[in-house]
Amino acid sequence: MLIFRYFAPVLLVLSAAAYGQPGDAFIVSGIAGRSGGTLVFAQRNEPKSLNPAVAADSASREVMHRINADLIHINRETQLTEPALAKSWTVSSDGLHYVLNLRKGVRFSDGHSFDADDVVFSFRVYLDEKVLSPQRDLLLLEGKPIAVRKLDAYRVAFDLPGPYAAAERLFDGFVILPRHILERPYLDGKLAEAWGVRSPADQVVGLGPFRLKQFVPGQRVVLERNPYYWKLDKEGTRLPYLSEVDFVFAGSEDMQVMRFQTGESDVISRPSARNFAVLQKEGERRGYTLKDAGPGLEYSVLFFNLNDSPAAGNAPFHRESFRRAVSLAIDRDAIVRLVYQGRAAALSTPVPPGDKAWVNDKLPRIVRSIPQAKQLLSADGFSWAPGGSLLDPAGKPVEFSIVTSAGNSERVQMATLIADDLKPLGIAVHVTPLDFASLLNRVFQTHDYEACLLSLSEADADPNTDMAVLLSSAGNHLWQPEQKTPATPWEAEIDGLMRRQMVTRNRVQRKQLFDRVQAIVMDKLPMIPLVSPYILVGARNDLGNFRPALLDHYALWNIEELYWRGGRD
Amino acid sequence: MKYAGRRLLHGAGLLVAVSVLSFLLAQVAPGDFYSQWRGDPRISTATVAALRAQSGMARPLPVRYGAWMAGILRGDFGYSLAYRSPVAPLLKERIVATLLLTGCATLFAWLIAIPLGIWSATRTGMWGDRLSTAATSLLLAIPDLVLAIALLLLAVQTGWFPTGGKESRGYSRMGPVQQLRDLAWHMALPVAVLVLGLAPVLVRHVRAAMLETLDAPFALSARAQGIPRRRLLFRHLLPAALNPLVSLCGVSLGTLLSASLLVEVAMGWPGLGPLFLEAVMARDFAVVLAVVMLSAVFLVLGNLAADLVLYRIDPRIRTVDG
Repeated sequence: MLIFRYFAPVLLVLSAAAYGQPGDAFIVSGIAGRSGGTLVFAQRNEPKSLNPAVAADSASREVMHRINADLIHINRETQLTEPALAKSWTVSSDGLHYVLNLRKGVRFSDGHSFDADDVVFSFRVYLDEKVLSPQRDLLLLEGKPIAVRKLDAYRVAFDLPGPYAAAERLFDGFVILPRHILERPYLDGKLAEAWGVRSPADQVVGLGPFRLKQFVPGQRVVLERNPYYWKLDKEGTRLPYLSEVDFVFAGSEDMQVMRFQTGESDVISRPSARNFAVLQKEGERRGYTLKDAGPGLEYSVLFFNLNDSPAAGNAPFHRESFRRAVSLAIDRDAIVRLVYQGRAAALSTPVPPGDKAWVNDKLPRIVRSIPQAKQLLSADGFSWAPGGSLLDPAGKPVEFSIVTSAGNSERVQMATLIADDLKPLGIAVHVTPLDFASLLNRVFQTHDYEACLLSLSEADADPNTDMAVLLSSAGNHLWQPEQKTPATPWEAEIDGLMRRQMVTRNRVQRKQLFDRVQAIVMDKLPMIPLVSPYILVGARNDLGNFRPALLDHYALWNIEELYWRGGRD
Repeated sequence: MKYAGRRLLHGAGLLVAVSVLSFLLAQVAPGDFYSQWRGDPRISTATVAALRAQSGMARPLPVRYGAWMAGILRGDFGYSLAYRSPVAPLLKERIVATLLLTGCATLFAWLIAIPLGIWSATRTGMWGDRLSTAATSLLLAIPDLVLAIALLLLAVQTGWFPTGGKESRGYSRMGPVQQLRDLAWHMALPVAVLVLGLAPVLVRHVRAAMLETLDAPFALSARAQGIPRRRLLFRHLLPAALNPLVSLCGVSLGTLLSASLLVEVAMGWPGLGPLFLEAVMARDFAVVLAVVMLSAVFLVLGNLAADLVLYRIDPRIRTVDG
């Protein structure tokens, strides 16, 4: 006993050193839970790779983000940035230079120390033109890369090629790679093949709350607790609480729902409104709770082909009056009611209401009005044939097809309802469901379509993520991508406004600029916003700290804090 | 030998035709693997173009076909763009699961079909035969997917069976008996769907083949000589009815890799089905083509085996061939 009394403080210091200095640990604010137990999460598809530098599919990202950590993180609950592996940072007065101070004493899941070399290596990989990481473009500002320099073992400088508002949000998602593991394959030009689904578990190493235990192809990925994780709870307990996380691959949404219903999985993320209603009926009996977190950052739009392609030709949708009339004729409330069973928000702006800080709530709500729509059309030279068909100013009957994704029944239903809504205007609309790859090929490659119904998902609650859609030169400028010069004066104005908001560091001024962008889009309607579905999730009743978020990783964003109230083996 | 050689050559020709057709179809399908990346706002068109160039998609079609075929002959089925991995190891893991499922289902279906078909044939027009015919007609009319959904509903409502997967958590830590039980528990529903889909076809064929031999003059003569019923059925009539059944058995063997793809997808069985479907949707053509080619090889080999068995057991084929 005496020996223990003398040596206990030494042992405590040694164990603190082994697992990182207490001063540098991140203390989470959630309710302190209890350790142990396994969480089973059924996801639709299996991850294709666990390599953050090359994986682009959502199934891989869902697992990878449980294994890895970033420097600065966007808290999914507050939607604000918070320190992660960087415990603090400073910004130069011109906003071009960031210095990140790294946490000391942090270790990778194999026990190897983390320092500035890992950060520099990671960004070298992400920026490498040969690796062609899907995230590389995020680190290019106006085509120029961000420069990364090591200042000392725990300080790294990031030099931006130009001003960039809210630059610290860029760091979210850029997970830090272990140089001691991945440098060799990188130098050998084999980084893309590293950390595939058949890699040995002890070779997949990260700084996240869990580490890889087992990958059973086609069936499951089992993660186990990372004993070196750098977050503690309020009581000083090292996170995560869960011993294991079992990602099982269900194959489809219906299978996901069945597994959750039968208790084969503990959490369900983003079931459709139809399945949510089915699950709700049995929640009490089967011991789970469903949560409706409200509108997220995903929204659906209808847009017309405004390219100079044969499919678009001199079609009436080049006329603003026509697009406005179509928007007025669409019954968004019916879409919310019939397609989403009330679990969606009708949109009057191209920013979903989940993006609370940036949505322009001064724009008028769109209320369906067939008389107003007809008035707009007739004022612009449209007329109606004796049978009621709409004729364009050249006297040609107006009809078009809407292509949409066949794999998404909600989008097909929406397109069908829109076709019905446009009948009173005398417009014949044909709904053409296509598989997703064909659909995107038509929209972005061949431009062989007339109208398209798609869903957009903002990666972050910040206007900068909309640059990829709103800039006329952008590849995802849906209605007419990659314009060499803006095709219209209003697109030129949007370009200017978006570029200004990107460099404006004053938040109020940014909001004003972005409000104007939203007003222009709603006036010209190159894309017609429809609805934003609510974020629906569910979990077993005894899962503690389960707080769904509106941003990506909706259900598992705080996995390190999740715990079983009654304890579970 | 000459016959076997000719059949083998015929099979090889068929495989070449399948390879050309499937490769061409894959190329003319709208979109490619990187089409979906174009929908990701984080990724620029320049990056997508560079990735396309890096993956060799810009090479002329005959060059790509030649490289792919040369690879196949070396046992290299190409490179999966989705998994960033060679295709062969990906398939190996899935083929085992698929063969396990279809192998069991085929075996059970035949074990049910032969006695039931014979029994039904010997009771033509009686209530037993009518019941069997009605049941097989009903099962033939129900698509496999409907059966799968019905059985999944049963699993959800009763909790008697899992709603997907092949093994429970902690499978690797179980003893051999427990592992076998766990595997059987997971296989029960998908195997049931496949058996219910396959057995009616087999029962009908066995019944028809037996009916034909039952009415043959030699059967009448054998019956007149007082040969016991069981001996007559299994020693004399069944071998005579074997020809169409051997051909059918060849098809059963040939479709071992492809018969269950849809059921696997519907019931969450981790075989080739989900991998194939995902690859088709993602335009991961190396995986798609590999599955198509392997299925074709199985079909050719199954039919070849049936042809050789028929050649061995039926002297008429040898006479025609000779």
